[in-house]
Amino acid sequence: MINRLHVDLAGIELASPLVLASGVMGLSASSLERVAELGAGAVTAKSCGLEERKGHPCPAILPFGFGLLNAVGLANPGVDEMVAELRAFRLLSDVPVIASIFGKTVEEFPEVAARIAEARPAMIEVNVSCPNVAGEFGQPFSSDPALVGEITRLVRARVSDIPISIKLSLQCLSLAQIAKACADNGADAITAINSVGPGMIIDPNVRRPVLANRMGGLSGPAILPLAVRAVWEIAAAVSLPIIGTGGVETAEDVVQMVLAGATAVGVGTAVYTRGLEVFSTINSDLHVFMQERGITSLSDLKGAAHV
Amino acid sequence: MSEYMQTYQVKRVLTHNEGLKSFRFDRVIEAAPGQFVLVWLPGADEKPFALSGVFDHEIEITVKAVGPFTKQFMNVKAGDWVGLRGPFGNGFQPIEGMVLVGGGIGNAPLRYLAQCLREEKLLFRWVIGVKTAEDLAFRDELASMPEVTIVSEDSSIGKKGRAVDVLAAMNDHEPIIVLAASGPEPMLLAVHGFANTFSPDIPVQLSFERYMKCAVGICGQCCLDGTGLRVCVEGPVLSGHQLQGVTEWGRPHRGPSGRRPTQKQAVHHD
Ligand SMILES: Cc1cc2nc3c(=O)[nH]c(=O)nc-3n(C[C@H](O)[C@H](O)[C@H](O)COP(=O)(O)OP(=O)(O)OC[C@H]3O[C@@H](n4cnc5c(N)ncnc54)[C@H](O)[C@@H]3O)c2cc1C
Ligand SMILES: Cc1cc2nc3c(=O)[nH]c(=O)nc-3n(C[C@H](O)[C@H](O)[C@H](O)COP(=O)(O)O)c2cc1C
Ligand code: FES
Repeated sequence: MINRLHVDLAGIELASPLVLASGVMGLSASSLERVAELGAGAVTAKSCGLEERKGHPCPAILPFGFGLLNAVGLANPGVDEMVAELRAFRLLSDVPVIASIFGKTVEEFPEVAARIAEARPAMIEVNVSCPNVAGEFGQPFSSDPALVGEITRLVRARVSDIPISIKLSLQCLSLAQIAKACADNGADAITAINSVGPGMIIDPNVRRPVLANRMGGLSGPAILPLAVRAVWEIAAAVSLPIIGTGGVETAEDVVQMVLAGATAVGVGTAVYTRGLEVFSTINSDLHVFMQERGITSLSDLKGAAHV
Repeated sequence: MSEYMQTYQVKRVLTHNEGLKSFRFDRVIEAAPGQFVLVWLPGADEKPFALSGVFDHEIEITVKAVGPFTKQFMNVKAGDWVGLRGPFGNGFQPIEGMVLVGGGIGNAPLRYLAQCLREEKLLFRWVIGVKTAEDLAFRDELASMPEVTIVSEDSSIGKKGRAVDVLAAMNDHEPIIVLAASGPEPMLLAVHGFANTFSPDIPVQLSFERYMKCAVGICGQCCLDGTGLRVCVEGPVLSGHQLQGVTEWGRPHRGPSGRRPTQKQAVHHD
């Protein structure tokens, strides 16, 4: 039987286009394996940096009517601990695992990339776009094409044998320009988008912002149209494969992303809004969608909305 | 109440001792015993607490001061605004012939479970273990309950010993149908061990704690090694079956960064 859901992402074979997004169920080998078994085509680990970080106090993850606000603050166990978890995952599962890294400075990125490469992940995602540590780190690197280009070049130079994807945010003047900076400096893929905003929720009784960090990135169904537009713009600018991420909850949402130009599709907040079954549900709905229309491969739909 | 943030005024505070208090809020919710809420103290932090009671027009949590957040919470007075979200997770299922086993502050959710068992007119017994008499909340209420046996490690109240030590004698007296336990993890594992000495095993419902940030199953902070079960969603109350395959029993818990401290670094609370 043909697997209609099979995709090739920068040379990595995925049995489903669905990729668990970074920061969701991604701290341990066991949680990643649980998601892999439920039907994700690949799983992305939580972003890690050189050192352990506790992140912001809580509330750090706040549901509202249309998704989540989050300001976890790059809490992570540090790259060495993450190497151990990724190695443990690879012993448990054949599903490709994507490592995710961040740096406090431009120079830290290649350092963390070289260390995480020891775990031999299928891909390294370079998170240049966390919106929740602006006070500490300044503006996300992803708003500046020169910085994104430099980070891409440095990581590429240190890690030549593992594909790298640069994770972008909406917060920039021109996504096309940023995407070109990635392509020109040796990226193999682009993940777009990170959470959006930041946004804020204020409690009317207490009269102060609810998130301990006061503001946090929006994710979930509220941002799907923004993410689809972002993928569209990036696909129009560069030919790199895109992991289209942001607000995806259904098979139709996946199809939208692919029509905009995505090769694979990230799923994060839907784990909360739809439950962990979201992976198997989308897979079977997507299969039916394609079968009914006689579509044998998602690559036939890729970018088809660009007319 | 829901997973969205809502703030409520504290209606009253019951002081058991200076480091152990119950807080009541004007709020009606549907919640199973063992389910928990996230409690936001504006300006401080937000942490998980089990419901210790659900009444006609009020809900209650019981807080023991162990660290920065819970110590600050001891200053909360009637009229103060506090954020509550939930209830989250899977709770206990009240069953006729149940034996409740609680260690220290772990008895808080068992108080609500006992309330449910009584309302459903199901027979049960409840063993309460504390280090010392000071640690006991609701002392007068418990004194009037014939179902309750209290033991303490220093014999300052009830017989000297630990809650698990009295289970064998209780079972000889009248067979235990199912065990419901909440308290420090070594106690939970001892209850599980006791249940497993029977053939067939006595079914168990055990309430676990792990560091939590979201309570909606997304951050991965509370996932158990070995199975990836989320203590905030599939737990906090787990069955013996759900305990199988977990490889982290007896090890220090992952902290807020996700790192698991080495045995030496771990700070023990119970
Ligand atoms: C499902 C559940 C139900 C609980 N019910 C009660 C209850 O009814 N009454 C009660 O007094 N306590 C309860 N707790 C424990 C309570 O959440 C902690 O005592 C509190 O978070 C400690 O915070 P602190 O700053 O005072 O202490 P800290 O010094 O920061 O920590 C003391 C201990 O609490 C743990 N802890 C700290 N933060 C968290 C967190 N965000 N999530 C989980 N554990 C944490 C630490 O790992 C440590 O073991 C429950 C915990 C869970 C997970
Ligand atoms: C709780 C939470 C934590 C996140 N942590 C990270 C992270 O560590 N690194 C990262 O690149 N993206 C992180 N993200 C962003 C997601 O990977 C994703 O890009 C974004 O949420 C949009 O997708 P979604 O709507 O499907 O969640 C996080 C998102 C959430 C909700
Ligand atoms: S606390 Fe976030 S997954 Fe359980």
